[in-house]
Amino acid sequence: MQKGEMYVGWSTKEDVRKRGGSGGLVTSMLAAALEKKLVDAVVVLKKINEFEAVPIITSDVNEVLNSAGSLHSVPSHFAKLIANRNLKVALPAKGCDVRGIIEQGKRNAINLDNTFIVGLNCGGSMHPVVTREMLEVMYKIKPEDVHGEEIEKGKLIFETKDGKEHAITIDELEEKGFGRRESCRYCTIKVPNNSDIACGNWGVTGDLVGKATFVEINSEKGAKLLQNAVDAGYVQVQKPDEKGVAMRAKIKGVMEDLGKKWKGKVFVPIENGRLEYFRKELEHCIDCGACKTVCPTCSCGEVSKCTEYHSRGDAYKMSMYHLVRFLHLADACIGCGQCSDVCPVDIPLTRLYRRFANPVQEQLKYEPGMDMRKPPYFEVKLNE
Amino acid sequence: MSDNVYSTICPGCNFGCGLYIRENGALEVDFRKSSPANAGKLCRFGMSLPRLYAPVKSMIDGKEVTLEDAAKDAAKRISAGKGSTAFLSFGNTTSEELLAFQKIGESFLCTGINFEALPKDTYRTLSVGLPYTEIEAAKHIVLFIDPYEQYPLIVRRLLSAKKKGAKITAVWWKTLAIADEMIKPNDVSKLALTKDSLIITDFHPLSDVEQVKSVLALAKNAGAKVTFLKPFANSTGAYLLAKDAKQKSLVQLIDDINKGTIKTLFCLESDPSTLIPSETLSKLTNLIIQAGQASSSKANIVIAHEPLYKKKGTLINNEGRAQALGGAGTNGLDALGIIAGAKFEFNALHESVKKAIGISAVDEFTIPKYDRSAYGAIQGAVKLNEAKTALVSVYNPFIWFNLADDNDFVELNLNTVRALKLLKGGTLKIKSNGASIEKKFKVAPVQDNVLITSKKFGIEKGMLTPVEISR
Repeated sequence: MQKGEMYVGWSTKEDVRKRGGSGGLVTSMLAAALEKKLVDAVVVLKKINEFEAVPIITSDVNEVLNSAGSLHSVPSHFAKLIANRNLKVALPAKGCDVRGIIEQGKRNAINLDNTFIVGLNCGGSMHPVVTREMLEVMYKIKPEDVHGEEIEKGKLIFETKDGKEHAITIDELEEKGFGRRESCRYCTIKVPNNSDIACGNWGVTGDLVGKATFVEINSEKGAKLLQNAVDAGYVQVQKPDEKGVAMRAKIKGVMEDLGKKWKGKVFVPIENGRLEYFRKELEHCIDCGACKTVCPTCSCGEVSKCTEYHSRGDAYKMSMYHLVRFLHLADACIGCGQCSDVCPVDIPLTRLYRRFANPVQEQLKYEPGMDMRKPPYFEVKLNE
Repeated sequence: MSDNVYSTICPGCNFGCGLYIRENGALEVDFRKSSPANAGKLCRFGMSLPRLYAPVKSMIDGKEVTLEDAAKDAAKRISAGKGSTAFLSFGNTTSEELLAFQKIGESFLCTGINFEALPKDTYRTLSVGLPYTEIEAAKHIVLFIDPYEQYPLIVRRLLSAKKKGAKITAVWWKTLAIADEMIKPNDVSKLALTKDSLIITDFHPLSDVEQVKSVLALAKNAGAKVTFLKPFANSTGAYLLAKDAKQKSLVQLIDDINKGTIKTLFCLESDPSTLIPSETLSKLTNLIIQAGQASSSKANIVIAHEPLYKKKGTLINNEGRAQALGGAGTNGLDALGIIAGAKFEFNALHESVKKAIGISAVDEFTIPKYDRSAYGAIQGAVKLNEAKTALVSVYNPFIWFNLADDNDFVELNLNTVRALKLLKGGTLKIKSNGASIEKKFKVAPVQDNVLITSKKFGIEKGMLTPVEISR
């Protein structure tokens, strides 16, 4: 196996296939990595219910196997979880997870040589509280009755315990203010080719639909990870058919175009009063610092420019904390949406950071977290 | 390797914010986005929980001992001081522990609240607040609090209400960004309420009873709704469960300690130094503290058990929502059992808690139905600020828990700065009752003749302290 190759595969373990999404390949690949000591630990989401799971780092193979299953209403992020822990680890990762991990790697907080990143195709995730409300308002079903979920052909489908399926188009949900988180709507990283191996159901055809995962190997580590799982007897693979490869490329293209359209809708230019716009958006800030804590590209720790230049005793009209962060993140923001998720006063922080990051990253032709290119601001040299 | 992660509730106030605490060498806070009260969001205090949960060890007179030995010695001293022992818990622990505590402390139970000075038919309104969704649906919201400093997670609920067209009036000493209309507390008579109004205020051990009555009267006379926010993790549980218990107020407790009729004070998950003057505490023969985290009080006996996030049990938030803590620890109950001389069974207490709030199972997504029956006519005198200059103390989680914060300054307005010719970056001298302090200042839209602080300076005499100020 080598970089650039594509396969369709599934878990050899029946219970994992049943519980896992798309044949349980990712779960089995992670379990095999642990079992065969390719890594010392694996990150998994420990499921509490359909709308809650907690990320944990484990060395227990059974805990990994029991974690199978996709959860669209758990918008977690793993980069900070494994940062500064010096782990030899494998983990599943959405596009934004991968970007955060790579940026932490550039900042020496994660050793990327020891990190096996299993990328997951991602059309977006939803906030669990919004999802519960959406189920009651739009689907007219009780959240407790939900048994499973799937996104297929532009529809968000919930299966209830009585075996019935309830489907509504994502477009309709988002028109009504539900559906995916705002940052997911304009994200254009749908197949994470920045990971070691990209996995998802797009491109699986025929009898294998819903029972297998399409994988694309992006690095030597990715090849090693898949080969290890096959050798350990955890996973079976076969070559994909041409139709599947073409279908996957088409879906990826459509999803990326949709993301670009959303970007246009969200980032309407501010014609006048740019300063007042930012001041107004930030006026309810309570200085909790959660946006910094959760930010997957921030690696400054306790002593950082944004906090050192800021004091609660300052009477500036706009907080220095945010001003420094706007600049600091202009070449680093990956648009993951975590800061907006955790803001206690609902400031749309990701949107604000992207207002600075979009033009900077476009002008510098730099997308953080997509490769190992040094952040442009790191390369600035004075007095030359 | 497997992470220890606990699903828990923030103890910073009674809002009921869910979060995870991760034990990764040091403690880390993680966001529990499915939590119905806060959607995973945390305030400044919630983000500071790793500092709050400082480890604590069981001690007798400064010597480290086991929990069992500390509890046994506490039992001896309580028994020897029968009739002169008081039991204090603000409500910072599980409902199950509070029930057990009540059984021990029947003779002198104190939640800090002066219930006896308030009409009995107001207890339910004072104890259980309104669901946050009712706040979001209100047409007119009146704030008698600073939501940003005191109960920050209410801000997003207020913003949601504003998006739906609500008008927000604040009766406060400083212009609040969220308010459409500001009324000075001394001008509260100008407040126009209707049956569409919803008043948000708070209720705690330092609440002025007359002020509480006057807010209840305002709501009653206009047919408006009123909800009381509270500062401790299980204040609502403590007040609901203690409704039939004979209680004494914090003022009475302080009086009795000063008079010498109370010589032993047993505190359950409550740091007395945050509310009782140190000169009063020094008069005690025995100060016994049972806690899961270090406190700033110097106790004769410390009974140390697991912190709140590792406990098993039920909390009840401002809305009356029952929430299960995700831990498995019952050491706190075990210690109370040693003191009582009879083991407390968690399951039996848990059943009693559910019965008391009328639920068959703890479900954080469903708020139990409470009989919020209206209270009768009530009168209260609004306490006006008559001081030439007053220091307003804004009670917030950092004050209640005596936790350091980046707030060592006072807020005052530009007129005051100019009148006193204060220098940028300089300090302000504040005098009160013979004590004098010097503090940095911040210019803010505060009323004339008012200083505001979110920190305890040690010169305060209640929420409003008359002061003299100079350069």
